[in-house]
Amino acid sequence: MKNFIKRLTSKNGWVLFVWLAALAAVWEIGATVIGATVRNHPEYILPHLWQIAASVVQPVSDTQTIFGLVMVNAWATLSRALVGFLIGMAAGFVLALLMSLSRAVEKIAFPYLMLIQMIPILGMAPIVLSLTGDIGVSRIVIAAILTFYPVATNMLAGFRSVSREKHELMYSYAANTFVKYVKMMLPSALPYMFTGLKIAAPMAVTASILVDTLQGGVGLGCLLSQSLKHNTSIYAFWEIVFISAALGILSAKLIGLIESLTVGGRLSALSGRLIRSAGKEKRYEKQAEKTEA
Amino acid sequence: MTDEYIIDINHASKVFNNQKKEVTALSDVSLRIRKGEFISLLGPSGCGKTTLLRMIADLIKPSSGSVTVDGQTPREARLARKYGMVFQSPVLYEWRTIIRNVELPLEIIKLGREERRECAMKMLELVGLRDFADHYPSQLSGGMQQRVGIARALALNPQILLMDEPFSALDEFTREKLHEDLLSIWRRTNKTIVFVTHNISESVYLSDRVCVLSPHPGRLSAVVDVDLPRPRTAEMRSSPELASLVERVRGSFEGI
Ligand SMILES: Nc1ncnc2c1ncn2[C@@H]1O[C@H](COP(=O)(O)OP(=O)(O)O)[C@@H](O)[C@H]1O
Ligand SMILES: [Mg+2]
Repeated sequence: MKNFIKRLTSKNGWVLFVWLAALAAVWEIGATVIGATVRNHPEYILPHLWQIAASVVQPVSDTQTIFGLVMVNAWATLSRALVGFLIGMAAGFVLALLMSLSRAVEKIAFPYLMLIQMIPILGMAPIVLSLTGDIGVSRIVIAAILTFYPVATNMLAGFRSVSREKHELMYSYAANTFVKYVKMMLPSALPYMFTGLKIAAPMAVTASILVDTLQGGVGLGCLLSQSLKHNTSIYAFWEIVFISAALGILSAKLIGLIESLTVGGRLSALSGRLIRSAGKEKRYEKQAEKTEA
Repeated sequence: MTDEYIIDINHASKVFNNQKKEVTALSDVSLRIRKGEFISLLGPSGCGKTTLLRMIADLIKPSSGSVTVDGQTPREARLARKYGMVFQSPVLYEWRTIIRNVELPLEIIKLGREERRECAMKMLELVGLRDFADHYPSQLSGGMQQRVGIARALALNPQILLMDEPFSALDEFTREKLHEDLLSIWRRTNKTIVFVTHNISESVYLSDRVCVLSPHPGRLSAVVDVDLPRPRTAEMRSSPELASLVERVRGSFEGI
């Protein structure tokens, strides 16, 4: 709690607070206006925030609250998204490693990698569904493919970012390939991999929610469309919106945490400094231009 | 007396074939470098200094002629880890602390943890960075980073130090300080140092001999003996002897 207050009173905390407050204010003004102008079910368009908050404990049946229903469906979807994410991550890692180890593999695999990026994977979801015949497996496959691409390309970029001199240094020590990868290539590529994971995580979540809408049954996507068709409480929709947003932020934070535990804060501190100094240089340039003129 | 020479470059040439264009980077260079000598390769950019250094380091092979390092081929010498490299940029691994950067080559030869630490600490002491062992490279100035590079190159106790314009990115004050440090390290360790530079007075001040390379095509146009007494002192920088040597070196460039 102390920490929270400290964060709130620090400069960034205030920015966040103002943002949230402004967002809530705009939301409430909208809800009030709609409440005053729309006669039937204004909450179908935009409910008040407190209505959404209150809905958390509302029952949908004798045994379940709306929130409970959302959670059951969230688990069905997100556990699959997580499995797909992990598979995609492993596959992307291995492919990037193979591509960096062997020119031949790189030449063969790179066009396919580009191709994957161009195909709208979500459009292929029905094909994946009919091939696998199972919505859970389809969620995993789609999430895996979507994670695979950013991880593979970012890691490859990480491997390629190692300077010629660094390679030559290892060469001068007559280091073998294994040592070279453990001591130089992987540590260099790790921050790039995390960049890829940060891109992939929300994509994997979004994708598996969208895959849900292909078939009835359990899943956040199903519940979402049912709620929008008023087959179940509209507040399920709003709860899903907020939970998904929270999960998106949480997943990015979690990856950031794992990153700082493995790669260490050093690198992010470093890149922050680089970005700042680049900004400074630009300012100097501008100043120089002014004085010249 | 044959073993007096540690590096023997015998009529070595290098022609690069890039997209149908042939570039003669070095043409017929012969040079023998003595054990324990401080020798400079001096010339304007593009005259083949790096190419010559990389031939010694087994990073490129001569198109014709031969290079011998301590009686072996450059490859054998590299596998025996007979030389250490220092580049123009420090080339530190930014995720490792300073001490762990210096430990890197020692890890590669699988030295034990304790010995590694001890040896790396000694090297840091040699370059005056003992107190910065646990810092990260980004926390050090350019000059200090370059010292770490030197400490790392010395870690495996190689006989030869190959340095490619190691101080050219540093400011004048830092560079002069590093000159003194390098000379004192050289005096204490008896290394053979091959030092690439495009700075005439730097090469004269540091070296026993200055090899003057001229471009188009890259060739060795003169070798100037520097008979200034050792140890070199800061006062010598402005001495008439050094000035006249600088003039002699300047006069031996061809076709620039
Ligand atoms: N890998 C290469 N491929 C083609 N040309 C090269 C290569 N390396 C160097 N050269 C050419 O050889 C010449 C000498 O280069 P270099 O040895 O780097 O000069 P210096 O270090 O003296 O500046 C230059 O003209 C350069 O363009
Ligand atoms: Mg060069």
